[in-house]
Amino acid sequence: MQPEDPEAPQISRRTVIASATLIPVAALTAAQAPKTALSASERQILEAFVDRLVPKDELGPGALECGAANYIDLALADALTGEKESFVEGLAAVDAFARKQYEMPFTQLMPDKKDAVLSEIEAGRATGFTNPRAFFARVRRLTLEGMFGDPYYGGNKNFAGWDLIRYPGPRLAVAPEDQKMSAPPKPVRQSAYGSNFNHGH
Amino acid sequence: MAINLKPVDVAVIGLGAAGGVAVLPLARAGLKVAGIEAGGSMDPRSFRPDEIHNNVRGLVTSVPKTKGEVPTVRDSPSSVARRVGNHPMMNAIGGTSIHYWAQSWRLKPWDFQTRSEAQKRYGASSIPAGSTLEDWPLTYDELEPYYDRIEFEVGVSGKAGNLQGRIDPAGNIFEGPRQREYPMPPLRGTEFTDRMAEAARHLGWHPFRPPAAINTQPYQGRPGCAYHGFCGTGGCHIGAKNSTAVTTIPAALKTKNLAIFDRAQVTRIVSDANGRVTGVSYLREGKEYFQPARVVLLGSYTYENSRLLLLSKSKAYPNGLSNTHGQAGRHYFAHWGTQGGGAVTALFPFDINVFYGLPAQGTTVDDFGDDNYDHTGLGFIGGSSMHVHTELHPIEAAAMNTFGRAPGWGARWKAFVRESAARWTSAYLQTSTFPYETTFLDLDPEVRDPLGDPVCRVTTSSRENERRSVEYAQNKMEEWFRAAGAIEVIKTPPTGPALSTHAYGGTRMGDNRETNVVDRWGFSHEAGNLGILGASVMGTSGARNPTLTVQALAWRTAEHLVKSWKSISA
Repeated sequence: MQPEDPEAPQISRRTVIASATLIPVAALTAAQAPKTALSASERQILEAFVDRLVPKDELGPGALECGAANYIDLALADALTGEKESFVEGLAAVDAFARKQYEMPFTQLMPDKKDAVLSEIEAGRATGFTNPRAFFARVRRLTLEGMFGDPYYGGNKNFAGWDLIRYPGPRLAVAPEDQKMSAPPKPVRQSAYGSNFNHGH
Repeated sequence: MAINLKPVDVAVIGLGAAGGVAVLPLARAGLKVAGIEAGGSMDPRSFRPDEIHNNVRGLVTSVPKTKGEVPTVRDSPSSVARRVGNHPMMNAIGGTSIHYWAQSWRLKPWDFQTRSEAQKRYGASSIPAGSTLEDWPLTYDELEPYYDRIEFEVGVSGKAGNLQGRIDPAGNIFEGPRQREYPMPPLRGTEFTDRMAEAARHLGWHPFRPPAAINTQPYQGRPGCAYHGFCGTGGCHIGAKNSTAVTTIPAALKTKNLAIFDRAQVTRIVSDANGRVTGVSYLREGKEYFQPARVVLLGSYTYENSRLLLLSKSKAYPNGLSNTHGQAGRHYFAHWGTQGGGAVTALFPFDINVFYGLPAQGTTVDDFGDDNYDHTGLGFIGGSSMHVHTELHPIEAAAMNTFGRAPGWGARWKAFVRESAARWTSAYLQTSTFPYETTFLDLDPEVRDPLGDPVCRVTTSSRENERRSVEYAQNKMEEWFRAAGAIEVIKTPPTGPALSTHAYGGTRMGDNRETNVVDRWGFSHEAGNLGILGASVMGTSGARNPTLTVQALAWRTAEHLVKSWKSISA
């Protein structure tokens, strides 16, 4: 009646950890050379797009300055490689639609014309797309990820996205006063993969 | 050819919230247990304070097996089912208890006897049309010792509201009587959740800090919660969340009576000509194994529990294991409320700072839960718990609803989220949900998993009782948010859930073998040495999270097996 059977597959006993110690969070794989997915011209279209979604102004850096296009470019070569093809088609359709409307490349349009092009895409009226609404929503969503996600992924440069919305950054231990409404905590401006999280491993 | 392994006393399929609990009383009693788990072990160092990793890309939860088994969903028995979204559960030692919210509720006495209680108070016509609602075969009082057991074995923090009949307004005054206080005090409040609690009291309601399987002080050698804000869909890097991976499973391993077979995908439960189960077949690294066992406990998840029964056909069970009366897969339902699309979202004119914390940290109102208020004339039975909580990640914060106050992009949007991303929250409503004739699980006729087996097909139809119930609670929730100072409240019309982390039924527990798969102890009415664990045995949901009830039932089934070992294993 012993389960220790010579024929049995290897039993995993390393398994279960009940340690009381604070385990460093980011035991991460060694940094690889960042790989991007887009050509120079595709990247420029994307940059112009995200720049209009969240423009730089007196409130601070916009999506472009935060590195949102960089985040998307890196993600399309990595976690989102499966949607690269359709994404690139979408970018090409943006430019083609701009040329059709204004006889100019999208990147060279004045801001108000760029906004008009994006509005047509958002409303689903733009031609040349498989699904203009869905493409707009996807670029917007990825722009938010690039602006407000961990800088580790190539966006949120200088933590400008987190500063904009007063997100105080990841802390491993949060004290009662860090959850106060009236006196929010000081921003830590660190990545989950920054040096502060790498102690002791 | 399958490799035949040496027999064990009990094979437990799935080491999640349910199976991970059941192994402990078995192993302590000296039974030799094989825990067969489709996932692997998770390294706490992979639990990171990283929204993209945990929440956007779902890298904690996405395991190839679960991805391959995503059920299909349709809204009526006459339509074609499709896959929508991902499987909500994960495979791992510890299962979804690794990344769940850890809210650990007892059901109410009313939840166990809903049919008879509703008939008594509101008349026979109050039972929702087309529902297959039955009273449970056991009462709250019979389950109470097991709730208590789990609260101490696993570790649950909270505040008693009904201590042996003594009501304490610091806890939930509507709960059933409990024999003793929780082993740990509740998670702390924040300035915002305290403000919400104060607003509720102003309305004459009874807010309290709800129970959670999360340490609030050192417990069983693990530390208290650090409130760091990456609990939901993450995992706890310090082991303060009491998943079975850090509680009952290591305790069972210490007895040396539990052997874990991880990354082992069970494909069939095997039965003999007499209708007894003889063991389980599983695949591991491309090899097929047969694990003989005197008793099998099936504890995968609601969708897979029914699917595995329906797939495990034999001479004795040509329609699927323990399915002679066609009950496997019947009486399915999943929680309405926020999980069914019925969100209530509020904007405040000041920062509420809910970025840190955890979903179990907050304030709950149960005045409109279950049958805690008079339903005369309302047109529905059951009710909703309403929970306001912390933990909001930055991408999610910025992806907020603009409440009609700004466009969705551009400079005006930027100015809006700059002001408002730290000022909004969504309430978590959970609504009593019931089984119906037209809500069930079966095998999809078209869609198959990577092994070629049909996936589970979910048929879930619209339900008037639950829709009215959610809308009633949404109005109460709006009242609550506004009393706390909200300037905008948006209520999303409830549509009902598709795939859910709160999925019930399919192998319902009941005395009547013609309408239930398992008996009052959780053992099959047909294959007497097959027990079933999980919310799949539950006949009502209550207005709160299922896990503590699932675990209390799992312990009870395992204890019954130990006590009745000779008769069940014979």
